[in-house]
Amino acid sequence: MLLALAQWLAEDVRTFSVFNYITLRALMAAMTSLLISFMVGPWMIRKLAAMKIGQSVRSDGPQTHLIKAGTPTMGGALILTSVAISTLLWADLHNAYVWVVLLTTLGVGAIGWVDDYRKVVHRNPDGLSAKAKMFWQSLIALAVGLFLLQHASLPAHTELIVPFFKHLVFPLGALGFIVLVYLVIVGTSNAVNLTDGLDGLAIMPTVMVASALAIFAYVAGHAGFSAYLGEPAIPGAGELAVFCAAIAGAGLAFLWFNAYPAEVFMGDVGALALGAALGTVAVIIRQELVLFIMGGVFVVEAVSVMLQVSWFKYTKKKYGTGKRILLMAPLHHHFEQKGWKETQVVVRFWIITMLLVLIGLATLKLR
Amino acid sequence: MRVEMTMKKRATSALGETHVSVANVMATPNANVRFWIITMLLVLIGLATLKLR
Repeated sequence: MLLALAQWLAEDVRTFSVFNYITLRALMAAMTSLLISFMVGPWMIRKLAAMKIGQSVRSDGPQTHLIKAGTPTMGGALILTSVAISTLLWADLHNAYVWVVLLTTLGVGAIGWVDDYRKVVHRNPDGLSAKAKMFWQSLIALAVGLFLLQHASLPAHTELIVPFFKHLVFPLGALGFIVLVYLVIVGTSNAVNLTDGLDGLAIMPTVMVASALAIFAYVAGHAGFSAYLGEPAIPGAGELAVFCAAIAGAGLAFLWFNAYPAEVFMGDVGALALGAALGTVAVIIRQELVLFIMGGVFVVEAVSVMLQVSWFKYTKKKYGTGKRILLMAPLHHHFEQKGWKETQVVVRFWIITMLLVLIGLATLKLR
Repeated sequence: MRVEMTMKKRATSALGETHVSVANVMATPNANVRFWIITMLLVLIGLATLKLR
């Protein structure tokens, strides 16, 4: 929105053409979403507390978490609002990719909103059924896949690009591409949601991964840099750097309120949406495997739940009593049961994500 | 009385901004993370000077 205004003003005052630079607009988007979240955050937390929109804590989880019951939740709405406003202000709204990521994020956020709303306002412990949640997520992911397939103008836009190898790519074909898009978006969305179990655990890795994806998006959208670094050139993808920066800004401000002891939780509305946002950006800029590396914490958390549930069901069927691999799933609860303090688990997972993001960024140059 | 007089002479409730935050009933991890966030923002502003001049 402001880009159009700046371009109109630049016809008379050349200084305004500085807003054509994606880097400047990304920085402004981060600052805008950060300020919105900082300013609206305390008011929103008070409002959520007054409306008694408080988190219910799972009874079979760690006992130390019972004191968290009643902490305001659905704070993800704050992140999504800040990101949406900031993106609408600073991104080029003629760019189709901007609308794809924005609508996907808000769409998946709406699914999380309904789930949270039923759980905390209607006091329905089941919320939105797992099948319904999966159906709507799948629908959105498939729509994104079909749209990207329609708009693919080069073979590289639908190929699976392997990091660290210059010429190793796998042509996926139409069906393979849509399946990949589906798996990445739905998988990341649910993985971030599973990670969101300790104060600040999900948001900081999201900020780090979004910041790194902003760099990848900028490179993909820049003909010179993408050619120099051997990355696929995706014309228009540079605008996604603005969106990613908005996520980073809003996420950092949210962390201010979500750090231990949390004043607010993001809820499914935030976690599902942020995961879907990261997944969608990754598939547009063809960096699914890099996302897999950088979001390693999300991946391991999701795998830990899948393994725990599968092993429990298998052993129950075979031996009559279910056995567990971990002391508790997801993985962060396992470490808590081992005696780590909540803050130790969170900060150590952040450190691991930092290292993984560095490895991911290294793929820009090392191939 | 002596304590009150001493307290009045202090600019902050404890020495070091971190201790002020903790003394003002902010939990230690909370103060830590918020100071990290401020540092991250300052580093970003510092890095922005590379491009913005």
